[in-house]
Parts: sequence; structure tokens; C-alpha cells
Amino acid sequence: MLTEVEGCVNHQLYWDDIAEGDDVTRVEMAVPYEKVIHNAAATWDFFPGHHNPEYARSQGQKTIFISTLFFQGFADRVVTDWAGPLTFITRRKIMMRGSVYAGDTMYGEGKVTRTYVDAGGRHLVDVEVVIGNQDGPQCPVSITAAIPTKAEAG
Amino acid sequence: MAEEQEKQTGLGIVTGTVEEARAMIGHVSEPTYAEVGVNWAMIKYYSALIEDANPSYWDQEFATKQWGDIIAPPGMLITYMIPINWRPQGTVDYPVIATKVPLPGPTLINFSAETEFFKPIRIGMHLNFVDEVLDISEEKATRVGVGHFVTTVMTYRDSDGDTVAKNTNVMYRYTAKEYS
Repeated sequence: MLTEVEGCVNHQLYWDDIAEGDDVTRVEMAVPYEKVIHNAAATWDFFPGHHNPEYARSQGQKTIFISTLFFQGFADRVVTDWAGPLTFITRRKIMMRGSVYAGDTMYGEGKVTRTYVDAGGRHLVDVEVVIGNQDGPQCPVSITAAIPTKAEAG
Repeated sequence: MAEEQEKQTGLGIVTGTVEEARAMIGHVSEPTYAEVGVNWAMIKYYSALIEDANPSYWDQEFATKQWGDIIAPPGMLITYMIPINWRPQGTVDYPVIATKVPLPGPTLINFSAETEFFKPIRIGMHLNFVDEVLDISEEKATRVGVGHFVTTVMTYRDSDGDTVAKNTNVMYRYTAKEYS
């Protein structure tokens, strides 16, 4: 058992068990207006496209939309929910191709594209994550995570 | 209308010509220090946003054993350079250099971000960052308007001077379709 806090992620995959082509478990989340406002408050990012529908429309957007910081945290969560809390995100690249708006339902899912050991001896896994909504994929995210081997974890 | 749109952002976006913008390539900002240290209240509020049940953010015992203390989700990194939106002394200027590059576009949207993390961001750390302009693109049209892509690199350090993370960001500074 990793944690005794009820509801917390309490499983761990080890680097030895992961192979190229493995699926990364899909995560879904409703994004009501409350969530987009929570986004602005929790990240201190009060850019008006994230809380003012009139401004968002003046930007060419449908309504208020979640920020990069939300996408980044959600993509990281997709990987750590799947791999477990001993995972350390070492690199993440996100492309903001589309937007997720208040009223949408978003999802994240992924696939392992590479497992390798870097020059520093870290055991790494590359994952391609896609974040989308009910209209399809919106943001591709490439993540590299350091995941312990069974021997390292003891 | 474009000026009105800029004012509403509250970011102090500087407008000008692409020639003025190109003169800023290579410019490095003065260090900006986070308003607050890394703290559990903000970590919990952000983790609640993402609905992230990672015990690294919620379980003191697990986090101490694994990381030395509760850590911040890596997605919070940029939050530490966003100024608090009110202070008794007045508002604080938004320190992101992509907003200070003089370009015709009065509004912006983030296009891409590539972040490398070199160490966990633990409770109690006080982060600072510097921001450098790497590139200004040619004018490009997209689904939302016409403008330029601004590439910058932000280097985050802790109070020991160790580099915690680097974020290479591409921001689209543009004029929205209905304003162009």
C-alpha cells in the first residue's frame, strides 16, 4: 500500500512492466462554467477569455475556455493516474490546437511510444496523450516520465 | 475596438510594429519573484481543479517519504509567475515578456509550451524566473485571426539558484477576425 488516504491513487506500474504500444487509461471530466472559473482562481490566470464570455467571443472563441495550465495539469494527471504516484514528469510538450469550452466534457487518453534509459541512468517512458472534448481531439501532448523499476522501488 | 480589447486583458499588452518586436530578440527580463512560496492551500485548490488524487499532493506521509515533502503538481509551474491581481500598493505588472513585445496584435492565445522539470517543486520553495525572447514569426493567419507567434524561454530557479524548470512557450499575438 502506497497511501492510507482514502480515494488517492494507490497503485504503481514499474518501468519493467511497461512496453511500447501500451494504452494509457482514459480519463473524463465534465467542464461546467464553475470549472472554468475555478481554473482562473486556482491558477491566478484571470485573462478575460477564461472568465468573461463576451470577451472570449470578441477573441473569436465560442465562450470562456480552459487555460493552458488546466490542460497541462490534466495531461500530467492522465499519466500519473495510469502509472502511479512514484512517477516524475520530466518533460511535457503541449500544442494548443483547439479549445475546451465551458459546457464541454473533456477527456484524455494516451499510448506509450518509447521506453528507454537516458545517459543519467533514469528509466523513462514517452507517452503521447490526446486531450479532447465531445467534438474530438483538441490538444496533443507529449510527455516523458521517469518511472522506477521494481528493483529501484524495492 | 482593438485598444478596448487590449485594455480588458489587464495584462498591459504592448502593441507596435514587427520591426520593434524583432529588436527584442535575445532580450532577457530581470528576475521576477513569486508572490508567495509554494504552499499546500494552493496545491489542494489546483489539484481539486484537475480532480487529481495523486497522494503526492494530498498525503503528507506518502509525499515526505517519496519526495521529502508535499509537492506541487507540475502543471502549477506557471502559476508562480502570475502576479496577484490586487495589492495595497496597486496592481502588479504582468511579467510575461511575450506581452511586452511590441506587435500589432492586441490580444493573445497560447499556442504551445514545452516544459522540462529538473527537480520536484516542494512546499516552502520560493521560485523566481527570467524570461527571454527567442523568436518572432512572420505574420500568419489562423482560425481566430491574423498575427505573429512569439517564442520565449522562461527559466525557473529556487532560492538556492538551482534550475527547477525551463518552459519554452509559443504565444500567438493577434488581431481577432472581427477586428481585422
